[in-house]
Amino acid sequence: MIRCNHVVQNDKLGDPGYEESLAAFEARIAHGDKVEAGDWMPDAYRRQLIRLIHVHANSEICGALPEGGWIPHAPNLKRKLALIAKVQDEVGHAQLLYRAAETLGKSREEMVEELISGKAKYSNVFHYHAETWADVATISWLIDAGAIVNQRMMAEGSYGPYGRALKRICYEEAFHLTHGYDMCITLAGGTKKQHDMLQDALNRWWKPIMMFHGPSDKESRHNEILMKWQVKLKSNDEQRQEFLRQYVPKIYELGLTIPEEWNLRLDEDTGDWHYTEPDWAEFLSVVRGNGPASALRLRTRKMAHVEGAWVREALEVAARDERMPVSVN
Amino acid sequence: MKKTFASPDSVSGESRDALIDLIYRLADDDLILGHRNSVWTGLAPILEADIAMSSLAQDEIGQAVAYYRLLHDLGEPDPDTLAFTRSAQDYRCASLTLLDRGDWAFSTVRQYFYDVYKTHRLASLSDGTYAPLAQLARKVRGEQKYHMMHSRMWVSRLGDATDESRERMQRSVDTLYGHALGLFEPTPFEQIIADHGFCTTESGLFETWRDEVHSMLDHAGLTIPGDVTPKHGGRRGQHLPELQLLLDEMQQVYRLEPTAQW
Amino acid sequence: MDTQWRVFEVFHQQTRGEPHVHVGAIHAPDSESAIVMAKEQYGRRQACVSLWVVPSDSIVGTSYNDVDIFEHGTDKTYREAYGYQTTKRVRAQTTKRPKSLREANETGEQS
Repeated sequence: MIRCNHVVQNDKLGDPGYEESLAAFEARIAHGDKVEAGDWMPDAYRRQLIRLIHVHANSEICGALPEGGWIPHAPNLKRKLALIAKVQDEVGHAQLLYRAAETLGKSREEMVEELISGKAKYSNVFHYHAETWADVATISWLIDAGAIVNQRMMAEGSYGPYGRALKRICYEEAFHLTHGYDMCITLAGGTKKQHDMLQDALNRWWKPIMMFHGPSDKESRHNEILMKWQVKLKSNDEQRQEFLRQYVPKIYELGLTIPEEWNLRLDEDTGDWHYTEPDWAEFLSVVRGNGPASALRLRTRKMAHVEGAWVREALEVAARDERMPVSVN
Repeated sequence: MKKTFASPDSVSGESRDALIDLIYRLADDDLILGHRNSVWTGLAPILEADIAMSSLAQDEIGQAVAYYRLLHDLGEPDPDTLAFTRSAQDYRCASLTLLDRGDWAFSTVRQYFYDVYKTHRLASLSDGTYAPLAQLARKVRGEQKYHMMHSRMWVSRLGDATDESRERMQRSVDTLYGHALGLFEPTPFEQIIADHGFCTTESGLFETWRDEVHSMLDHAGLTIPGDVTPKHGGRRGQHLPELQLLLDEMQQVYRLEPTAQW
Repeated sequence: MDTQWRVFEVFHQQTRGEPHVHVGAIHAPDSESAIVMAKEQYGRRQACVSLWVVPSDSIVGTSYNDVDIFEHGTDKTYREAYGYQTTKRVRAQTTKRPKSLREANETGEQS
C-alpha cells in the first residue's frame, strides 16, 4: 500500500547480510508482528506470497464466471439480486487481492496477462461447469464454506496487506455462505425434482470439493516453509478436516448423501473423518488447465479483457484532458 | 393545490387504471434494463467498472421490486409472479431497455439516455399526488443521483478520447436515439395522469430530457442524429422479438417447477 | 500501454465526527472516475458519509527501516500525565503539616 520503497536487495540465500536479515525477519514473525509492504523480506517469501495471492485473485475472477452465467436465470427476484451481489463481491475480492499482490511489486496488468495466457493458475473448483441452478446453490454454500475455512486462516497470516484484504473478504463470504445455505435448504426441502437436482449437483461437486484445499500434506511441496513464515497456519489436510467436521453433518441434516465411493466415515474417538484419498494427479492436471471447463473459462476471461481494451485505453487518454464535472448538483 | 391520494384505496376507476399503467412502465423498464446490465457482472472492461455496473443493475432490479410492490398494493399479483409469469405483450417497457447489452459503448450510452429520463421522471414523481409512489421516488433519488454521475463520467470521457471510442460511441448514439425517444411514447392515460398530478406529461419530460442530452452529447463531441423516428410500441405491449428471448432466459429455472419455492 | 490505470488510495468516513480511515486502493484513470468507482468498491455495504481518493504517488511515507525514529531514546515522561504523582504528593503534604495549623484550618472551615 501507499508508496513502498521496495527493499529488494540482498534478499536471496548467499547475498551479503542475508542470514542476519532473515533472522530478524523470522524473529519478527515469531513475535507475531505483521510484515508490511516495503519491509525487507526474503525473495522466496515475496515470490511465494505473490504466487498465492495471484492464484487467489484469479480464483475470484474466474469464480465469478460459473455463477455469473446463471444470473439471467435466477428463479425469483430475491435470488436474482443476491446472486448479482454475490458475483459482484467476487469481482470485488479479485480487485482487493490483485491490489494486495501489487504491493509486493507485480503489476495487475502482468497478473491478468498471465491468467488469460494460461500461465497462472486458479482454484480447481472453477475448472468445472455449473450445470444446473442447484450447482449454483452447491457452489455458493459448500465451495464458499471451504473458502472461508481457508481464508479465515490466511487472514491471520504474516503479510499485513493480504490479511487486511482477507478480513473484508471473510465478512462478505459470510453472506455468500448463508445465501448458498438458504438456497440449498429450499431445494432440499422442495419438490422431489428440486431435491434430486440438489443431490445430483452435490454428487458432481463432491470430488472438486474434496480436492479444494489442495494436495494431501504427504504430497504438498509448499507447506513447510509457508507455515514457518506464517503465510499458512494450517496444512491442507487440517483445513479439509475442519471443513468436513463442520459441513458433513449439515449436509446429512438436509437429507442429502455423499457418494458412496468416498467411504466417508467418522472416527468417533478423534472426531476426524476418514475418506478415500482424492486422485492428486487428476487435481494437478485440472489446475493446469485440463478440467472440463478450463478452456471455456480462459476464453471468457480473455474475451472480456480483449473486448475491454479500447475502454481502458480511451480512459487513459481522456484522463489527460480537463473533463466536464460528473457531479449532478 | 391538487388533491393527493394517500393510499391505494383512494384511487379508483380510470385514474386507477392510469396509475397502474404508469407504475408498470416504471417497473418493467427497471427490471428489463437491470437484467441486461446484470450480465456485465464479471465481464466488464476492468474490475472497478465491473463492480459499479453491477451495482446499477442491482439498484434497477431493486427499484423494479419496489414498484411491483406498489402494484401489488393496488390489487395486481405479487412481484415474483409479475416478473416470472407474464408474457411479452403484458410488459410495458420501452424498447431501449430490452436490447441486448452490446459493447461497453452501447451499454453506457443506453444507460446515459435512460438515466437522464429516469432522473426527470423521479423528480416529477416525487412531487406527484399518489403518496406511496411519491415517497418511493424520493427514497430512490440518491441511487439515481449516483447513476447519473456514473453515466456522465462514461459518456463525457468515451465520447472524444480515441478514434475508436468516438466511433463506437457515435454508432451507439445513432442506433439508440430512436429507442430513447420511445421512452416518451404517448399513452392513452397521459392526460389522466397529468390531470390527477401523478406525474408530468411525456412531452413535458421529453423536452427536459432533450435539452440536457443534447448539451452533454455536444460537450462530449458526439453528434445528435437528425430526423429520427421514435421507436414506439413498447408502452402498448408491442415489442421487438428480443423481449421474448429475454423472458425465456429469465423464466427458465422458474418454469421447471412454477409452483415451488426457489 | 499500461491500461490498468493509476492507483488511488481510498479513505472512508463512516459518520460525521469520525475520522476518514484508509480502506484500500483502486485503479482509476483520474480523480473523478476514482470517486465514482471507489463509491461502489468501498461504500456499497458500510455506512458512509464521505469518501476521499488520493493518488497513491502523492503519498509520501516513512520507511519501515526507519521505524527507530519513533522510539524514545531519553525519558519523555515529563510530557505525559502519568509522569506526575500529584495525588501522592498532596497527601504527603497534608500529613506533614503541623497539627495546630490543621486544626486552625478545620475550625476556620466551621466558622
